[in-house]
Amino acid sequence: MGSVNVSTHTIPVAEEGAKANRNSLWWDAYYRLKKDRIAVISFWVIVFYVLLAVGCRIGLLFPHFAETNDALSYAAPNANHWLGTDFLGRDVLARAAHGTYTSLLVGFFGSGLAVVIGTMFGALAGYFGGKVDDLIVWLYTTVSTIPYILLVIAFSFVLGAGLKVLCLVLGLTGWVGICRVVRGEYMKHRDREYVQACTAIGASHFRKAFIHILPNVTHLILIQFSLGFVGVIKAEVILSYLGLGVEAGTPSWGVMINDAAQELPREVWWGLAAATGFMFFLVLAFNLFNDALRDALDPKLKNK
Amino acid sequence: MKQFITSMIILSLAWMSLTGCTKKKDLEADTLNLALSANVKGLDPAQAGDLYSNTVIAQIYERLFSYHYLKRPLSLEPRLADGMPVASKDGLTHTFKIKKGIKFQDDAAFPNGKGRELVAQDFIYAWKRVADPNVNSEGWWIFDNRIVGLNAWRDGMKDGKVTYDTVVEGMKATDSHTIQIKLIKPYYQLYYVLAMNYTAPIAKEAVEKYGKEFLNHPVGTGPYMLKSWVRNNKLELVANPNWAGQTYPTEGEEGDKEAGLLEDAGKKLPLIKKIVLREITEDQPRWLNFMKGNLDVAAIPKDNFDSSVVAGELTDEMKAKKIELIITEDPDVTYTAFNMDDPVLGKNKKLRQAMALAYNGEEVIKKFYNNRAIKAHSPIPPGVDGYEKGFSNPYKKFDVSKAKKFIEDAGFPEGKGLPTFEFMAGSSSTSRQMAEYFKENLKTIGINLTITQNSWPQFTKKIRERKGQIWGIAWGADYPDAENFLQLFYSRNASPGANGSNYENPKFDALYEKAALLPPGEERTAIYQQMRDIIVEDSPWIFGAHRLGYAVKHGWLKNYKPHRIIDDKMKYYKIDKDLKAKLKAKL
Repeated sequence: MGSVNVSTHTIPVAEEGAKANRNSLWWDAYYRLKKDRIAVISFWVIVFYVLLAVGCRIGLLFPHFAETNDALSYAAPNANHWLGTDFLGRDVLARAAHGTYTSLLVGFFGSGLAVVIGTMFGALAGYFGGKVDDLIVWLYTTVSTIPYILLVIAFSFVLGAGLKVLCLVLGLTGWVGICRVVRGEYMKHRDREYVQACTAIGASHFRKAFIHILPNVTHLILIQFSLGFVGVIKAEVILSYLGLGVEAGTPSWGVMINDAAQELPREVWWGLAAATGFMFFLVLAFNLFNDALRDALDPKLKNK
Repeated sequence: MKQFITSMIILSLAWMSLTGCTKKKDLEADTLNLALSANVKGLDPAQAGDLYSNTVIAQIYERLFSYHYLKRPLSLEPRLADGMPVASKDGLTHTFKIKKGIKFQDDAAFPNGKGRELVAQDFIYAWKRVADPNVNSEGWWIFDNRIVGLNAWRDGMKDGKVTYDTVVEGMKATDSHTIQIKLIKPYYQLYYVLAMNYTAPIAKEAVEKYGKEFLNHPVGTGPYMLKSWVRNNKLELVANPNWAGQTYPTEGEEGDKEAGLLEDAGKKLPLIKKIVLREITEDQPRWLNFMKGNLDVAAIPKDNFDSSVVAGELTDEMKAKKIELIITEDPDVTYTAFNMDDPVLGKNKKLRQAMALAYNGEEVIKKFYNNRAIKAHSPIPPGVDGYEKGFSNPYKKFDVSKAKKFIEDAGFPEGKGLPTFEFMAGSSSTSRQMAEYFKENLKTIGINLTITQNSWPQFTKKIRERKGQIWGIAWGADYPDAENFLQLFYSRNASPGANGSNYENPKFDALYEKAALLPPGEERTAIYQQMRDIIVEDSPWIFGAHRLGYAVKHGWLKNYKPHRIIDDKMKYYKIDKDLKAKLKAKL
């Protein structure tokens, strides 16, 4: 087992426990992440976005995002509206800020659903092998042969628009990558000594697959989740841009970019700038943080 | 050696591409390139209910009558008919001769693939299809309760008691080239209706061969035939060698000669051999393609208006490119329709009136039409009889406080107790923006909307199947008579007919039936106005605007004189190839 000490059978006394934890994968990862300045900055950027989204949602920040004003249609950036207004005279900065909530929500639930489905299938396929494996591999190869965006579009056509549907659609289409990784990991783990030991003392399949093996692949799932997060955010923007995403009226970066196609000919650049700017920093922060996270959680890179 | 071979390959490739280019360019130059702003549903004349499908169908099929291309006001002239018809004294029996020697286009549906001659029976067949409940035509309203025995035949088809071979008393082919129509009562729009695509003759063989696919396999007698169609992308039409032909008109209205519209007088049509119609639903790609010279004509999108038109004229930059501005006054009306079948919306007049009062029509005209439209107070647009200048609809003004009072009277103070309504919008960004604006308008009186975006075929399907709740749409005139707009409220025309709102009012119906028996004149106009007042009071629609068409065309497109009602127009267009080569190089 080496350094991966996550056995749940030995419950050490408190002081010893703290020491043991400090040697765990998670502590290692934490220390390595802390040393990486870019990762730390990225992390705080993400935290900032999350706070922004929560603040918008509970009405603390930009409560007037939906307020329209016919007289102010397409106002250029000014002291009252730092990033100008859109065709209905709504504040672009407020729209973009509220778009953060939409994006993070879809990212969290879309990616979360994908992780649940992918982990379930991956675990079953990798753990049981044989017919179950064949079936699941067949399923995900079939799904992955359909170009991703087309698949998402097909789903949205059937299920309609709206935030909930969007999370569902992105979750139902985004699980293949996670499934592959988890399946591979399970195949590696299922014959290890600790699993054999479990079998010897009579643990059930469920217990072995989800209580013993799962914690040992959690770090991979975490990485996949945060990678998927970025992908889902981008997919939401693309779908909303195509008119298949959130319902009209909901603030969304994709819708803002869609509007920009109409605005640019009138030299209204602020809508596009706000939406892409907000998206750029979030996606960049996520990608940098993911890289660092992956490095930190990879035991093979431990001594580098 | 290796190098030699490579250079040979490069040389031969270059040579091939060069020759390829010249040939392609020649063909390209003589092609009309147009865009349709919504997807085409299908090319069956019985379903020619929307502008986009109709535009294509009109180039492939022909009718008994069509309109003179240049004369205004519109003047009807025979197309497949051989001269104007003969009517009996009581105006109830009309006899039409059809031209001899007209042939259908070559098609696999005919023996040996050769198009056969058009006969009177092809008209009867097509008209029966419009009446056939199984075809479910959008055009049934044109014949409903008009022709002796046709309604009975329609009912018979429902029970399977009659077939297409059953003779209908009021619609007979008396010989191979003569049709006789017997009317139940006078029908003053009959000849107009016979200039609509619904009435285009159809070869039975084609319907039998293609079945459901007939929608994608038009077989007509017109100047063009469908060469290929990639759905939701583009249609290619080529000249039909079997077309009986026609010459360019030699006279027009005043000013046509000066405008160069008579330069091709007497020439054999069509003047362009190939048409490419691209289905581009978004404004900006359409506009950019036009500016690159890939399209010959385009409407000016709202967002490009300020940068292309200044004080009613094109900018100097555009003029230097020999781009011309075309302003048309098309009789049309935009509106927001309520489905009167809806248990909440349909039963509550005050609620609908409240919504009409909350709708800021002036701002819509400013925001989305660049002030290129006038406020619509009724369904009757300027340019047709029954339009009354200065008529004011009491619910067609933006008055939030009054709207709030109305919604209270309707039993839903501040919108409490009302469900969230579904508003159907089109798929384009502009359509969504208009829906968002309407949503904001209604929010001020406490009414909530969810907006769904639909492709044009989806959109019309939902209306036909009565699944819509509230939607935004427009109606353009089929013929220059207010009756064409008022029939949109006649209960017998309810979905799948043109009365998409499914409005029903016996008083209105009675007036409609009364007016139908009257010749054009003051008495009829007075009844039209009575009908208008009923509609205004009942508010099954929120009236939007009567639009002015602002379009631009390139200098190389000649003989371009648009009118909403004239649809078989592309055969008259001409491309000045030399000018196009010269101008396009500079774009």
